[in-house]
Amino acid sequence: MHKLGRSHRDKVQQFMTITGASEKAALQALKANLYKRYKDPYTDMILVDGITLLCNDIQVDPQDIVMLVLSWHMKASTMCEYSKQEFFTGLQALGIDSLGKFRERIPFMRSELKDEQKFGEIYNFAFGWAKEKGQKSLALDTAIGMWQLLFAEKQWPLVDHWCQFLQARHNKAISRDTWSQLLEFARTVDTSLSNYDAEGAWPYLIDEFVEYLNENGIISNAQSMTDWSKK
Amino acid sequence: MSAQKKKAFQIEAFKHRVVVDPKYAEKTWKILEHAIHEIYNHNASGLSFEELYRNAYNMVLHKFGEKLYSGLVTTMTSHLKAISSSIEAAQGGLFLDELNRKWAEHNKAMQMIRDILMYMDRTFIPNTHKTPVHELGLNLWRDVVIHSSAVQTRLQAILLENVRRERSGEVIDRGLMRSISKMLMDLGPSVYQDDFEKHFLEVSADFYRLESQDFIESCDCGEYLKKAERRLNEEIERVSHYLDAKSEVKITNVVEKEMIENHMHRLVQMENSGLVNMIVDEKYEDLGRMYCLFRRVPNGLVLVRDVMTSYIRDTGKQLVTDPERLKDPVDFVQHLLDLKDKYDKIITSAFSNDKTFQNALNSSFEYFMNLNSRSPEFISLFVDDKLRKGLRGVTEEDVELVLDKVMMLFRYLQEKDVFEKYYKQHLAKRLLSGKTVSEDAERSLIVKLKTECGYQFTSKLEGMFTDMKTSQDTMQGFSARHGADIADGPMLSVQVLTTGSWPTQPITTCNLPAEIRGMCEKFRNYYLGTHTGRRLSWQTNMGTADLKATFGKGQKHELNVSTYQMCVLMLFNNADRLSYKEIEQPTEIPASDLKRCLQSLACVKGKNVLRKEPMSKDIADTDTFLFNDKFTSKFFKVKIGTVAAQRESEPENQETRQRVEEDRKPQIEAAIVRIMKARRVLDHNNIVAEVTKQLQSRFLPNPVVIKKRIESLIEREFLERDKGDRKLYRYLA
Repeated sequence: MHKLGRSHRDKVQQFMTITGASEKAALQALKANLYKRYKDPYTDMILVDGITLLCNDIQVDPQDIVMLVLSWHMKASTMCEYSKQEFFTGLQALGIDSLGKFRERIPFMRSELKDEQKFGEIYNFAFGWAKEKGQKSLALDTAIGMWQLLFAEKQWPLVDHWCQFLQARHNKAISRDTWSQLLEFARTVDTSLSNYDAEGAWPYLIDEFVEYLNENGIISNAQSMTDWSKK
Repeated sequence: MSAQKKKAFQIEAFKHRVVVDPKYAEKTWKILEHAIHEIYNHNASGLSFEELYRNAYNMVLHKFGEKLYSGLVTTMTSHLKAISSSIEAAQGGLFLDELNRKWAEHNKAMQMIRDILMYMDRTFIPNTHKTPVHELGLNLWRDVVIHSSAVQTRLQAILLENVRRERSGEVIDRGLMRSISKMLMDLGPSVYQDDFEKHFLEVSADFYRLESQDFIESCDCGEYLKKAERRLNEEIERVSHYLDAKSEVKITNVVEKEMIENHMHRLVQMENSGLVNMIVDEKYEDLGRMYCLFRRVPNGLVLVRDVMTSYIRDTGKQLVTDPERLKDPVDFVQHLLDLKDKYDKIITSAFSNDKTFQNALNSSFEYFMNLNSRSPEFISLFVDDKLRKGLRGVTEEDVELVLDKVMMLFRYLQEKDVFEKYYKQHLAKRLLSGKTVSEDAERSLIVKLKTECGYQFTSKLEGMFTDMKTSQDTMQGFSARHGADIADGPMLSVQVLTTGSWPTQPITTCNLPAEIRGMCEKFRNYYLGTHTGRRLSWQTNMGTADLKATFGKGQKHELNVSTYQMCVLMLFNNADRLSYKEIEQPTEIPASDLKRCLQSLACVKGKNVLRKEPMSKDIADTDTFLFNDKFTSKFFKVKIGTVAAQRESEPENQETRQRVEEDRKPQIEAAIVRIMKARRVLDHNNIVAEVTKQLQSRFLPNPVVIKKRIESLIEREFLERDKGDRKLYRYLA
């Protein structure tokens, strides 16, 4: 059962006294209040304004990656909106029933990104979430934005080159396969590409990226980067 | 006899022992010894065989075999020593003669001695495991005569000297050599080998080493090979005449090694006379000789083949990348065929049809032909030329020959699907313009292509032929029905093409002249009347028309033009001058086609039935066109339409390339799906290999393209990556 903070407990008590409801129901009602606070006046969903307000309340920048983690918990289907179901799923999963709780859970959500397994899930979730509804692929700009966000956490040294390469050479949407394989690539292939296997069935875009790095003499740079970091 | 009583005649056994004379053995031996002396001194006639035999027999019987045997050895030995001396004494050339004679005598003597000592040979000797008489005679001869130091060295020297003399052209006594040689063999193969053959081979090696060095400095390749061949044959002949047969392979090995193997590379690469020069100058005899000689040494043919292959590849590569050559595709292909003929001839007549050479030739052709991506187009153009005019008046067999040769080149193509595309285009033009020399030849080629590539390759092509035939029938039906009402108007001939069998055409617009429209409508109605549910669209960019034109001074000509050109010209029945716009509007012909059309009507010498103002080369929107009253031509029929297939311009080529690439994508995907459906799970490299195998009869798929298709199929959820191993793919039912 949730540990209720003092002021919180008071509120709940208050609620229970006024309405005569059980603790569980009281908590549900508090969650519903939260929802009501953020939901759009015209539809039964939380839209951009609501999300902005939420971010304000929990003192988190809307661009902060923690919002992605939150959306993952909610199993949100698309960015910039939460359905009622999704909102409640998220609250439930995180054990949140008040703003205070919400704020408390932020550091926890950040820490989840450090977990290898969870990061992978969040990363792969991000694709579906960030793409347009009804599209199969992710628009390049959005993808780049997401990658920069995600790899700031995970520290993949080649991320900037990757984004540059895409803008120079590809200019098309990113497929799901490419998205998920990129994480594999970042995880398994070292920055000097010494263990890159050309026969490794990497998506062709990644093969082209390697070619691009070789052509532009970036590999040796990357090598010296890793050498430095070892010192 | 008288009847007197006689004393009984009794035979009594010997009552006394027969005393064997103690000196009996010695006495008997002396008799035999004497006989041996006499035999060796050629006095055998005085001897009684029977008596001698009996003596020998008795000695053995009375257990004096040992004495007899050792006596024989001693006697023979001393005689042979004497013989040996006499041989040694012989001077110079007489040495061999003497040796040979003495040997013959010795053999005769031994024969006689053996006959006399037959009993000992058959009983005492086997029992005591001693050497039989005949063999003893040989061994003694060997040890006492041949291996006496003086004789041995002299014999070897003289034999080798004789061979040397013969090699430098002198005549020697071969019979004598043969006898000596046989003698050595009789003495035992090791005697022949150690006393003669070994040294013979050594000396020969030195001889040929020197000679080959000399030749290689002074002769060109062809001459050298002739000399080597001659020497080789000489040695073979030498062996057959006076050496043991087993020596043949050994001496030929020596010659092969010294004369050929050691100089292999230098010979083949020899400037101005080596292998390449022989090929270029078609020196069949020299090439044949080289093949026969080099076949005898390890890696000889490998060397020849490799040099030939790299030459063919280099010259082939030059040919297909030479821009001058590529200007005329028909000539280019003819050149390829001539080249192939040339090499085929070399392989059949000089290289005894060696399969490995044939394979090397094939792989070389495959290599360089595919260096030029236009090869498929050019081959199709070549065929087009042949089927349009080249094969006119040629016998059926010769037609088959030409087509078979073309098929041979076709097999070398890696991009057969590109060929198919062009072939279809060119065939369409031929069929529609009625310009094919022989329908049998066309069909024959289709059959060959079908045999080579399967039904799928040619089914559409056959569809085209069917359409032509069906159209004929349709026209007959149409004439029969409407014969009367169309008799006055222009003569219409329609070919109905099934979309899908024919090369895809862009959709064109064009307003046909009124005179034609009526007719066309009639046909359309007729056709749709008998084929409900179909849609017809006039392909105005593909038709032709024959117009009867009368010019200024009354000269009449028949103009053979394209449909577009007809539309343009018909306008001039109602006006003598028209601006570009005034032509464009009523005809609605697309701009680029119209410009090309007007160009061919107004700007080509000898075909300018229209005049243009201004007289510039290119057609501008602002130009004006006039009917050329003053047009003349020495021909009644003037052909203006461009119908013949031509080498594509660069941009057109690019376009075709793109279309081919586009066509390949679904084929690759279909192959991937087929494979994955059967295998369910397969790793990346194996998919690439399988796909390549499945498609190789049409084209060589690019592994990168295959990868992209796999990713596309993943996106469309036909396949997925295995969760555990990212190199594995699974088929999603």
